[in-house]
Amino acid sequence: MPIVFACAASHAPGMTAWTEAAPQEQRDKILGSYHKLGDMLAASKPDVLVVISVEHWANFFLNQMPTFCIGRAQYYDGPVEEWLKISKTRVPGDPALGAQLLDVCLNSGFDPAFSDELLFDHATMLPLHFLNPGMTVPVVPVIINTLTTPMPSPKRCFELGRVLGKALERQPRRIALIATGGLSHWPGEAKMGKINVAFDKQFLETLVNGKRALLAEYSHSAIDKEAGSGGHEIRTWIAVAGALEDWRASLLAYEPVHPWATGCGLVAFNP
Amino acid sequence: MSLYQLQKLIYDVNRNPERRDAYRADKAGFLSRYELTPGEQAAIADLDVRQLYSYGVHPLLLRPFTLLHRVSNEDYAKALAGLE
Repeated sequence: MPIVFACAASHAPGMTAWTEAAPQEQRDKILGSYHKLGDMLAASKPDVLVVISVEHWANFFLNQMPTFCIGRAQYYDGPVEEWLKISKTRVPGDPALGAQLLDVCLNSGFDPAFSDELLFDHATMLPLHFLNPGMTVPVVPVIINTLTTPMPSPKRCFELGRVLGKALERQPRRIALIATGGLSHWPGEAKMGKINVAFDKQFLETLVNGKRALLAEYSHSAIDKEAGSGGHEIRTWIAVAGALEDWRASLLAYEPVHPWATGCGLVAFNP
Repeated sequence: MSLYQLQKLIYDVNRNPERRDAYRADKAGFLSRYELTPGEQAAIADLDVRQLYSYGVHPLLLRPFTLLHRVSNEDYAKALAGLE
């Protein structure tokens, strides 16, 4: 069982940058669940973390925007945001596993970009802050473009997850898989602050209790309309769902946290 | 309309400390490095948040750019009120 643990969680920067703005009950639930995920992950004793993440103009711009990018760096520095209230840290990488995952993708119908130097923004640093305290476990990031159109379809993300999952299952080392992003939010938009609780709950219900392959059927336009520009990040969750189609998922918390302007969810997966 | 150049300017100021210093030291000189329409130049020079948003600047470029100019959440929301 080379994948030993998996989880998916939102990364609203308010969780660390303006924690106190949220009502105590909500922040206790969300941050408490993050710590619980951290404990579960530590108990699984992973050798490597594969983080399916996104970024927000930290590395890539419109001159070159990879649809998928796998990190092959020795280390990753972050966060880029001065205001996140997470100390600047160097996160160890795992270039060999990054290179292996690239090979697997290139032989399985995917052609991701690769990078030997990536910075982490809050999308990756915030979950690692809770899930990899001390940043002792090496990380391989898989970045999905959910920032700007055109983006990969949810179906492709699900299939990418399936390819990665199969490859990770064959690893001799213990792997933890982390997805980060969403749920509904409209960052920087005129609708900033809106949260679509009905969309978020439906998505979580399908993930936890439904037929997981249905997640691949979400359309770009439906996500855009119902979950906002930030909602596109659920593609990372959909990728992990593709990797672990048969694993049980359990919902640790869901809260629409208005001061953090995000529908915040945390889910653990078990074999 | 040169949305790419407009967003490139904003990205450079947001992400590159040297470019940010140059922008702060000489805004007019900095603007001339990019191929912008007069309207786009004015929107940057005046920090016209509503106009920049209407031109199609990506919200996650625009919001950090306005944060560098200490625009509060309330003022940002007010500038965009009624837009899609």
